[in-house]
Formats: sequence, structure tokens, C-alpha cells
Amino acid sequence: MNRKLIISILIVLAAVIVVLIVTDVMNSRPDKRPDNPYEYTVDQFTSVDTALVKYTETIDFTFGDLDLRGIAFANNRLYLVEDNYLVVVSPEGEKLAKLDLPESPRCVTASSNGIYIGFRNYIGQYDLDGRLVKNWEPLNDTTVLTSLAVTDSLLFAADAGNRRVLRYKTNGTLSGSFTGKRDSADLHGFIIPSPYFDLVVNSDGELWVVNPGKHAFENYTFDGQLRGFWENAAMTIDGFSGCCNPAQMAVLPDGSFVTAEKGMVRIKIHKASGEVLAVVAPPEKFKGETYAPDLAVSPSGDIYTLDYERKMIRVFQLKK
Amino acid sequence: MKWLKIILFLLPLLLAFSDLEAQQRFPKPEFHTKYTQPTPTTPEPRGVGMEFVDVLVLLVVLSLTSWFAIKKRSRNGILLLTIFSAIYFGFYRNGCICSVGSIQNVALAFADPKYVISLYALLFFLLPLIFCLFFGRVFCGAACPLGAIQDLLIYKPITIPAWLRKTLGFIPYLYLGLAVLYAATGTEFIICRYDPFIGIYRMNGPHLMIYLGIAFLLMGLFIARPYCRFFCPYGAILNVFSRFSRRHLSVFPTKCIQCKLCTTACPFEAIDFPDEEKSKPDTKSNTRRFILYMALIPVLMLAGAWIGSKSHVFLSKAHPDVYLAELLISHPELKTDSKNIDIQTFLASGKSLETLVEEAQIIRDKFYTGSWILGAFLGLVIGLMAMNQVIFRRREDYQANKGNCYGCARCLDYCPVE
Amino acid sequence: MNRKTFINNSGRLILLGGLVYLTGSIFFKRKVSASGKYVWQIDPFKCMQCGRCATQCVRDISAVKCVHAYQLCGYCDLCGGYFKPNTHKLNTGAESQLCPTGALKRKFVEEPFFEYKIDEKLCNACGKCVKGCGSFGNGSLQLQIRHNLCQNCNECSIARMCPSNAISRVPIEAAYQIKGDFKNPAVTNPK
Repeated sequence: MNRKLIISILIVLAAVIVVLIVTDVMNSRPDKRPDNPYEYTVDQFTSVDTALVKYTETIDFTFGDLDLRGIAFANNRLYLVEDNYLVVVSPEGEKLAKLDLPESPRCVTASSNGIYIGFRNYIGQYDLDGRLVKNWEPLNDTTVLTSLAVTDSLLFAADAGNRRVLRYKTNGTLSGSFTGKRDSADLHGFIIPSPYFDLVVNSDGELWVVNPGKHAFENYTFDGQLRGFWENAAMTIDGFSGCCNPAQMAVLPDGSFVTAEKGMVRIKIHKASGEVLAVVAPPEKFKGETYAPDLAVSPSGDIYTLDYERKMIRVFQLKK
Repeated sequence: MKWLKIILFLLPLLLAFSDLEAQQRFPKPEFHTKYTQPTPTTPEPRGVGMEFVDVLVLLVVLSLTSWFAIKKRSRNGILLLTIFSAIYFGFYRNGCICSVGSIQNVALAFADPKYVISLYALLFFLLPLIFCLFFGRVFCGAACPLGAIQDLLIYKPITIPAWLRKTLGFIPYLYLGLAVLYAATGTEFIICRYDPFIGIYRMNGPHLMIYLGIAFLLMGLFIARPYCRFFCPYGAILNVFSRFSRRHLSVFPTKCIQCKLCTTACPFEAIDFPDEEKSKPDTKSNTRRFILYMALIPVLMLAGAWIGSKSHVFLSKAHPDVYLAELLISHPELKTDSKNIDIQTFLASGKSLETLVEEAQIIRDKFYTGSWILGAFLGLVIGLMAMNQVIFRRREDYQANKGNCYGCARCLDYCPVE
Repeated sequence: MNRKTFINNSGRLILLGGLVYLTGSIFFKRKVSASGKYVWQIDPFKCMQCGRCATQCVRDISAVKCVHAYQLCGYCDLCGGYFKPNTHKLNTGAESQLCPTGALKRKFVEEPFFEYKIDEKLCNACGKCVKGCGSFGNGSLQLQIRHNLCQNCNECSIARMCPSNAISRVPIEAAYQIKGDFKNPAVTNPK
């Protein structure tokens, strides 16, 4: 091989090396990096037909940096539990009282007789001024209370850890529990993969429990007999997405349910028989969030949502 | 390493029971059938503790190379050691961690108080340098896996004119300076990124690595050891250290008979020719030039420092945080670009742009300090290289250049002197 | 010649002194780990499932694999990490699976629970199942660097490109960061 040829090959190789290094430097800049070839996207489900959105967000109130945990509406007051406090707020957002709690609360409910706060494995009964009446008998270690619902004489507690609903008399005595098996031959009743388990008693005195693993709303008698149910597992607007939704729900005065889902956060209204009626808040309202907001409904039908990630209460009202 | 398994097993349990919060685990479903939940496996890394065997092997190879090069004067010994290094440090240990890359670890350890350097990396950095101070570039000769593969693939080495060699000889110092700058600021390990031969040793790798490797090896067929001579940053350090080595490979055992046979043997043009005339050249003008160049050095250093400080903005752009901050400030519309993963991740992280800008400013300040030091260093290198041209060294024999000779011992077999 | 040896010796001494200073300052002012290795690992809580673990590793098949933290799994019929979103047919057909290589295997345990196990030989670390599980499930699937496969490079190529800086050097005692000790309050105290 003559020298000229070798030299030209060497020059070409040197040029190749320089080009390789320079292009590598340029292509690793943060705005030139390649897209994700394995992108997981649910964008087709996050956009909602605007004709279905019947509510607007009207007021927001924030409470500083405390970790909000639960919300309930009763006696024309909003009861909030956060960190280690019970905060009583007027419907317009004015803080009326702030009371200390012995440990972290999980959920709250209230009636004209008093306030009931669920801690991890026991319930605390408080009067309307926020003074402790008594702490009820604690339950076992695997108990995780996630929701409470109260009638005149009974209180129902959703225990996600033991997959059961507990029935208490309002004086604190435990009068029963049930696991929600649809058939006595079933191995399991409530399917609860994650600590989200919600229930309500509506104005007709019916107990409705969400069975999150089955994406079902189940109607039980007070002693745990299944009267009826409907379920709909779907990513589309008519159903409930993911593995265990709806994570939160509340009941409107006319008996329809407000539901909040986690994962792809959206708040909807379903008829008591199951069909979706309207969308309160599409996923864009909760962009970047994954936790389902806790819900409370005022007697006039305003929906108060507890946005955990933004640490504020967002109120949605029917559009005029 | 049974204790390792026990610790890895117990640690999650310990963590689970140590904290009250952790006891509130959300319970699993209760399985009625006899189902046992599997546990996630935690396979152990290879060769825990083997790194110190590598240090020992390095020590042995360095010692043997020194002995073969200086005492025994055996080319075969060095060749065997070269092949051994290519196999052990190259194919077996996959060429990582190597002494060349250890510069970065040391630079980062020096600059960043939070970085933990492993003793193994530090030893890989120190041992070849210490041997170099006593025996010359024996690391390059037979221990370095990058050098070994290049050395074994020399086919038809051409001679490169001296002016080109000297000019290209500046590149390793530039590479060293940039590598130390980028490593010390925590930006990137550029030596590792543009290491041509690791892909070959692993026989596996991303396209850039493989193409670089093939390009260098092809070059290596015609230019002996292209990476070693014109790129290697560690070689730049070894070059300087070797000039002060206590002993060094000598072409002839007793005296030189001026037969010039050794110069045909050396593919690296590392053998210095003796001066042609018997008489000394014009010392007065040489001395004047020497003093001039010596006076020029601080000027060059200042000029280098000035250029370095001016270019610190450009150099700092290599750091992803700095680049991202600049990008978001100059193109705020990119915040809505849902396709760009880096921007979207930054926006979702909750960190404000102000915090990012503050962090980027701190990094840029580090670059400012580093860049002017780099500039001054490069100015010094240019000055010294110029001075080297005018220093008259009386040479009567053909002898290996202490800075450039790798101690490969090819010339020893060609020298007819006993 | 005396001048030459003098320069030689003093130069050597200066350079040796420099090395001693460097080593000393690193030993006494910085941390030197004598007890062996540091390895690379992914923090599952920072991971954004960007897909770069699959494409950036220096190895052909990434050393990162999906790992299942069974403690956190809900054993759901409709697994968020297994099925494509809005699949109606809950079977093991490839068209309903998220995993592009079919590495996530579904096994019936008892009604209505299923066990999901990863076949590491097939997993390519794309992170789709991790994203699905994290958004619509309990987040029990996670990406982890498997140290029997990882080359333990001086600088991890994936770490360089990770948008959330989730990969860091950890001491070998903490080589794996698998969710399951429930220290993340998001699991025990979701609200």
C-alpha cells in the first residue's frame, strides 16, 4: 500500500472520529434526546366532551401547608380533619374553630348529634363544640378505617384493612360487621387492593358501599344483606378506571352519587342505578395529580372537594 | 459472602419493624388456598472483593514489566505481559475500572466533599504513577488494556513528521484538562464516554462506542498506538512523570555504536537522534530564546486564563441542569411541549424554575473557577512545549525519549550490543 | 551530569510530594471507601418510567429489569400494569397485554386474585407495566438494576440520561431499593 493511500485513509478515519464525538455531544443535550418508544399514554381517555361537564369551579380555599385528610359537610358547617387537628369552617371558607386531636385522623363524618372522627383503628366521638365525648373501643392491628357514615342511631365504618364494614350504635357499642360476600360460597367479599373504601347512607336511609376492586356500588341492608348492585369497570367516561375505583364518593340530595377516581382523577355524577349523568371535573382540573379528592356535599348540592396535592378545598357548583 | 445475603434479607425486615409508621402496612388480601407469596429476588453483583485481586494483579504486572524492560531486557516477556493484560484487564474485567478513567474519580473526589471514592480506584490511579517515577512508562508498556490492544494490532506503522507529532501532542493535555474540569464539576466522565476500546472488550455496546473503537483500531493498523500518543489523558501525566524517572528502559546495555538499527524497530518514533554536528550551536541566540520563552510563559498562562474564563459559559452548557435552565429561560414556550421528557419531568418534580436557575448559577460559578485554571494550565503546557524546542540537550547516542517511550522493548532485540 | 541528576531527583521529589498531597487530602478530607463496592441503583419513588432504562444501558439487553414488590400488590383481576388501558377481555392474549415482550405473566390464585410474576429473561425494562401499575394500581411493579447483569461502569450511561436523577451510587449493603417496607406514607396514609 502506498503512503498516499494510507494517509488518506487515516485522514478519513480521523474525520470520522471527530464527527462521531461531536454528534454525540450535540445529541445528548436535553432538548435533542429521543422520544420514549415505550410511552404509556391514556390521553385518549383524559379528554372529556365539554357538553357533559355541568359544573364549574367557583371558590377555592387554602389552609397553609397542613396535610388535609378528610372532609364532611353537616349542620351547615364544613368539618375538616388534617394532620392532628379538627378544623371547623363555614361554607364560605371562614375558619371557625381549630381543635387538637391526639393522633393523625383518617376520616370524619358529622350529624346534628355530634362529630365522629376515624383514626387508624378506632373512632373518636366528639360533640359539636369539638370536645371529646369518648374514644370508642380500638380494633385490631390490621384495621385501616377509611370512611364513616352516620344515621340517627347508627354509625357505619369502612375498614379497608380487614375488608369489612362495621356497624356501631351511636353510643359506641359495636353491633355487627359484614364482609360483603355476594354469595355464601364466595371466598372473598369486598375486594380492596389499596386503602380506599368508601360508604354513605343516603336520605332514604339506604346504605351504599363501594366495592373498589369490582368497580361496583353495592346497596346493603343495615345488617349486611345485599339488596342490589351495579358495576362498571372502564376507562371511558361511563365507568371507573384502574384497579380500585371510585376511591371516594358522596351522595347528592336527590340520591345520585358523586364519585372521585384516583389514577386518572375525575369527578363524575352517576345515577343511583349506574348511568353517568354528568362530569363535575374532568382530568384537566387535576393535572399532574393522582390522588382522588375527598368529597362532601352541601344540602344545596354544592360539591366540596378536598384536593390533597394542592392542599386546598375546591368547590364545584352547577353551571347556570 | 453469606453475611451480605443475611443483611440484604434482614434489612427490609429491620426497616419494617423499626418504625411505628411502617407497622401500618396495608394488609394483603387473605388467601384461603395454600398460596405462598414469593419474595423479590436480589441477585448479588459479581466479584465482590475481587477488585483487590485486580489491584494485586496490576502490581504484579507493573513489577514484572519493569523487570523485563530494565533488568532482563526481554521483548518476549513484555509481549506476553501485553497479551495477558489484554485478556485479564481487557476481556475478563471488561476494561473497567481503568487507570485512565480513575483520573476522573480522583478529580471528583478532590472537588466534591460528598463523593466517596473507592480505595480501588485510588490505587489504580496511584500505582502506575509511582512505578512511572521509578521505572518509566511501564504501565503503558504492558499493563494498560487500551494500550495492549493497540499495540497488538500494529501492522504497517508510518512515520509522522515531527512538527505534526508535536502539534497533535497537545491534544492529550487538552483532553486531560477538559476531563478533569467536567469530572470535578460533576458534569460527566468524558473519558469513559469516549473510551473507544471498552465496546470491543465487552463485545457489546452502543453504536457510538463500537464505531469509535473500530475507527481507532483501523487507525492503529497504520499509526502505532493512536489513542496512546495523541489522546490519552493519563498518558499526558505519565509523559511528564516519566521524564523524572529514576531508571528507564535503555536501548543499549552498555554503549551505543550508532548503528541506527533501533530506530527502525520503534513504531512510535520515541527514539531520540543524537545531534548531527560535534560543535555546539549558537548558544547565545538559544539562551536568549530560552529566556524569552521562559518570560513568555506567564503571559501565555494569563492569556490562557483569560480565554478560559471567557469560555466558561460555553463549557458549562455541557451540564444538563445548566442547559435545561438556559433552555427554559430562552424558550419558555417549551414548557408546554408534552413530548420532551426532560422538561416534563422537571415541571412535574415541583422544583421551581428559580431554584433550578440558582443551582445552575452555582455550577456555572464552579465552571468559571475551573475554566480559568484550565486555560492557565493549557497556556503553561504550550509555553513549556515551546521551551522544549529550544533547550539544547547534548545527545551523543540514540536513546529512548524518556517522556514518549512506553518501554515496549521492541528495540532491545534490534540492538546488537551485548 | 550532576546538574542533570539534581534536576531529575528534585523533579521526582516534587512529583512524589504532589501525589502524597493529593492522596493525603483525599484520605483525610474526603471519604474513601475501603470496604469494596459502590453500585448503581434506581430510586423507585423518583423513577418517571421514561423508557431510557431500556435504550441507554451499554448492554444490548438492559441490566435493568422490572421487579415486583409482592407486598404491595393487590392481586387484582384487572391489573393496571398487565392490561392495556380499557381492555375488556381480561385474558392473557398478547393484544390485551401492555408488556411488549410478554415478560409479565399472570397466574390464577383464587377468585378473584391473580399473581403477576416477571420473567426476567424477557423483560426489556421499558417501564410500561411500571407506569400502568403506578398510575392505576398500587405501584408494586418497579424498575431495578440487577447486579448480576450490571457492568458497574464508572459512570452509568442510564444515570446520565435519567430525567429525574433517580439513579445514584449506593453502597453495596443497600444494593436493592424495593418498595415494601411501607415507609412511604402515601401507602399507609393515602390522604
